[in-house]
Amino acid sequence: MKLFKSYKFRRILLNTIIYIILGIMCIIWVSPFIYLMLHSFRADGGVVTNDAVLPHRFTFQHYIELFAPSTDTSLNFPRWFMNTFVVACFSCVISTISVLAVSYAFSRLRFGIRKKLMNIAMILGMFPGFMTMIAIYYLLKIMGLDGNLIALVLCYSCGAGLGFQISKGFFDTIPRALDEAATIDGATKNQIFWKIILPMSKPIVVYTILTAFIGPWTDFILAKIIMGDKHDNYTVAIGLQMMKDPDHMTQWFQEFLAGSVVVAIPITLLFLKMQKYYVEGVTAGGVKG
Amino acid sequence: MKKVLAILLAGMMTATAFAGCGGGSSSSTDSNADSKTESKADDASKGDDGSKAEADMDPSWADESLFGGETDITLKVWAPDKAVSLTKEQVEAFKKHYSNIKFKSIEVVAQGESDAATQIMNDPEKAADVFGFPSDQLDKLIATKVLSPVAQGFVNTIKANNAQKTIDAVTEGDKLYAFPETNDNGYYLVYDNTVVTDEDAKTLEGVLAACKAKNKQFILDSGNGFYSCMFAFTGGALIDGFEADGVTQKFVEYNEDEVIDTLMAFAKLMKDYKNTYSSQDTANISSSFKNGKAGAGVDGTWNSQADKDALGDKFGAAKLPTINVGGTDKQIISMFGYKYIGVNSYTKFPRSAQILAYYLTGEEAQTQRAQKLGWGPSNTKAQEAVKDDPIIQAVSAQSENAVAQVKIAGTFWTPMGTLGSELYKDSWKPEDRNATKTLFDKIISNVKDE
Repeated sequence: MKLFKSYKFRRILLNTIIYIILGIMCIIWVSPFIYLMLHSFRADGGVVTNDAVLPHRFTFQHYIELFAPSTDTSLNFPRWFMNTFVVACFSCVISTISVLAVSYAFSRLRFGIRKKLMNIAMILGMFPGFMTMIAIYYLLKIMGLDGNLIALVLCYSCGAGLGFQISKGFFDTIPRALDEAATIDGATKNQIFWKIILPMSKPIVVYTILTAFIGPWTDFILAKIIMGDKHDNYTVAIGLQMMKDPDHMTQWFQEFLAGSVVVAIPITLLFLKMQKYYVEGVTAGGVKG
Repeated sequence: MKKVLAILLAGMMTATAFAGCGGGSSSSTDSNADSKTESKADDASKGDDGSKAEADMDPSWADESLFGGETDITLKVWAPDKAVSLTKEQVEAFKKHYSNIKFKSIEVVAQGESDAATQIMNDPEKAADVFGFPSDQLDKLIATKVLSPVAQGFVNTIKANNAQKTIDAVTEGDKLYAFPETNDNGYYLVYDNTVVTDEDAKTLEGVLAACKAKNKQFILDSGNGFYSCMFAFTGGALIDGFEADGVTQKFVEYNEDEVIDTLMAFAKLMKDYKNTYSSQDTANISSSFKNGKAGAGVDGTWNSQADKDALGDKFGAAKLPTINVGGTDKQIISMFGYKYIGVNSYTKFPRSAQILAYYLTGEEAQTQRAQKLGWGPSNTKAQEAVKDDPIIQAVSAQSENAVAQVKIAGTFWTPMGTLGSELYKDSWKPEDRNATKTLFDKIISNVKDE
């Protein structure tokens, strides 16, 4: 009994239990990724059989096959990767600028229909995206843009301004006194946005960039509808899905795993790079302006 | 800085706007052309009423005059990835043969057959003019009218040259809706002939015993309705298209006791050979052969190449085995489909598309596919040419004992899958007749969506 009364013992006991629970959750969470990684290097080909959880032999072959297929096929991963990268870069730049500009306008400027516009944006945001997809497709077709990468950039970036709520919330926390001080010094609204607000909002800028960049890598339905059978303009999401359709599954399963790993690389790199600014931004925001 | 940016952005906007306008005008002319071709498509399907004598026609080649003056022909063909390069060769041969006709381009694009119908219906105008698809998508394609019926001039030749079953499945009323391409879209028994002898392969009991003796698995995807419908079919509960309402699955008259007996026999084998009989996705079969875990499996023709590569000299193929039900050996009845090549009714060159489809399903093209890709032909003469291939033999033997995969209700697959997975469950008691009957009744009423 004495044992349980000892504070030290109770603390150790509690911590052990908590760490065991956290450990189990961690394993559950991380195991699909490890599985994906390991099996993308697995040497004995084909789809996984139930009883081979851990591969025995490893090879780099699937990655080579992914970028330089030895068989005659319409799967062209390097091309899809570049497509996605280009689309991601363009839509990232355009949508980041438009989101931040819209947020700034709603946060700082006062004009007649401000409230109404915000409400409309809110209501439009309530419709699930895939409801409008067919309509988007036919509109793009009328413009002659179906099966075209420009169409993807347009779709990903043009509506982005509607997602202003989070960054507007952030801008609202920056004291208006700063704006006023700048105005007294002769700054225009435009100058305030670029020189005062933006440098103070690094975390939200980084957040916007990240979400805008990741979008094209993960979007499947819209991209598939727009691209149809134009294999050359596919993005990685459609391409990877194609690798695991019944036509390709038995041959391409491990290349599919390898592809999934490769797709994670640019996003991870961007995140690591941005992480630094993200932290910096947070601490800078904490210093009294 | 910001001025440059503003100009840049504005420039981009205008650029896209212009891009839009440019495209717009061209696509509007497209749609004009469309309305014109609609009527032409009607010509091709109705007007040709046997006008061009099919009697003295070389079976693979149509008469040049059938092109009906179409020129600058642009067509798109959908073929599965594996068949793309062969199809390209065939298209070249096609163009060469009709050297008097002016072709602008015939493009061959990879498109899996399994979702061809979905892709077509997304936007028929942008889809392929000539496309391959399996028989289960027929009713969808016919109902949505994207499939243009075979021109009358070809009908008799096609009927004379292809297996009767493939013709029956695609005939509705007096119209033939697509060109039969293969007679092989089903599954059969694949085995490692060092584990299972050809004699063992005749009965399911023999296959399982042989696998058990060598400590290998027998793989059958019992939770998937496409395969597990064989349990009900073998018992005699066969399907026969739709009821009069056009949506409810219709069953033939069957003896319920017989079905229950058969289901119990299957369940008993699953129990008796508990660690041998394994229900896994068919995609696992080839890799299990490769690592020596499996001795036999029921696999589809589309995985034949992978299985052959995995087994090499040990590859064995046969029709599905028999199962012993109350003393008599009953042949296992499977689901079996065919593949067709269809012509999109939105095509701008209906006559050329028909002729190309006709050539691509002709004797010569089917023989090439059979030899290079192992696709079982529907053309009777092409069947002769490849009759020694063990897979094609196995598949065509199984096709005699199969239900055609046409007019299948959407509510069919899931309950049938449940039937298989219930029987396969560890907790299932194979000798419990009442439970089997309750399960079967529930499955049937679910299929009929009552």
